[in-house]
Amino acid sequence: MCLESIPKTLIIVPAYNEQDTIGKTLSSLVELKEEIRNLEICVVNDGSTDRTKDIVSTFDVVQLDLSQNLGIGGAVQTGYKYAYNQGFDIAVQFDADGQHKTSDLFDLITPIINDEEDMVIGSRFLHRTDYKGSKLRRIGIYYFYVILKLLTKKSYTDPTSGYRAINRHVIELFANDYPKDYPEPEVLMHLSRKKMRIKEVTANMQGRQGGESSITPWKSIYYMGKVTLSILMQSIVKE
Amino acid sequence: MDITIFSFIIVCIFFVIVIEAVRRGIFETKDSLIWIFTCIVLGVLSLSPGLLNFLAKFLGIVYAPSLLFLFGLLCTIIMIFDLTKRISKLNNKVILLTQELSLLKQDYQKHLNKTSKQRKENA
Repeated sequence: MCLESIPKTLIIVPAYNEQDTIGKTLSSLVELKEEIRNLEICVVNDGSTDRTKDIVSTFDVVQLDLSQNLGIGGAVQTGYKYAYNQGFDIAVQFDADGQHKTSDLFDLITPIINDEEDMVIGSRFLHRTDYKGSKLRRIGIYYFYVILKLLTKKSYTDPTSGYRAINRHVIELFANDYPKDYPEPEVLMHLSRKKMRIKEVTANMQGRQGGESSITPWKSIYYMGKVTLSILMQSIVKE
Repeated sequence: MDITIFSFIIVCIFFVIVIEAVRRGIFETKDSLIWIFTCIVLGVLSLSPGLLNFLAKFLGIVYAPSLLFLFGLLCTIIMIFDLTKRISKLNNKVILLTQELSLLKQDYQKHLNKTSKQRKENA
């Protein structure tokens, strides 16, 4: 694919206290930006209390600075709102902790450029990758896989993956309405009810390179209950 | 002291507190309506044993004053439900405001950079 022919694409990097990793992540993204003209990077600083904001300011990227911590859903949605307002054709969610690789980006956006899919998710489990997550995490991911399989009759091998690309139509949807707490699996339910085309592609992911995951074992049990409930609600909610 | 008189005194004190809160602007009038309603019904019920007994008999309650508690409890649940609804609504508004503020800040920053660049070029 010709690098010049890529439509306006925004990479959204939600960041909450990621001072250890954000620099490295942004360096690799800025490198990519030099190759692709139509690419823009947008960091959503979700009310970080460490040096995240200062580090981001040293890069040539758009920084959306949230004055209060909104959580991952609210932060990512801010990015989608920006993408919508600025007329971007594609938006890609990209983690700040160095888990995602820029080398997979083309695989994610190609089906969207060709208008074959509305959303493409980078999956760790579609094919065998080097990913080694903790057992607990794998169980959690499998749990959401089963629930979504039951409710949507479709297989999403990595429903919690935050590496995902969407087209203009879904950007508009998300700018108006986006789940708040732990949106990744919920969004799948939401979009499949709307009969959107969703596809998974293989993405290599590393364990987080530093900082702390927002999800601790105890919290994850609470989250699983909460998200299960919201997925169920999502499946009966009125359109 | 009889439970009905005791609850009437408490209801009266409460009623005064609510009215005072509205007068001082701590409560909005529309928010105080359910409180005032609760106070009046509880007050009337606790002062008229006849009505209380009649209603208790009607509902099959053996110990009439427990109707007071039932009513108080129901009102409390309604109020808490109403509060939860409002908190959710407020929460959504705060998120929306924070997002819009950040977008505006970004816009403003862009504007500032542009004008300072222009100024440098003109100088």
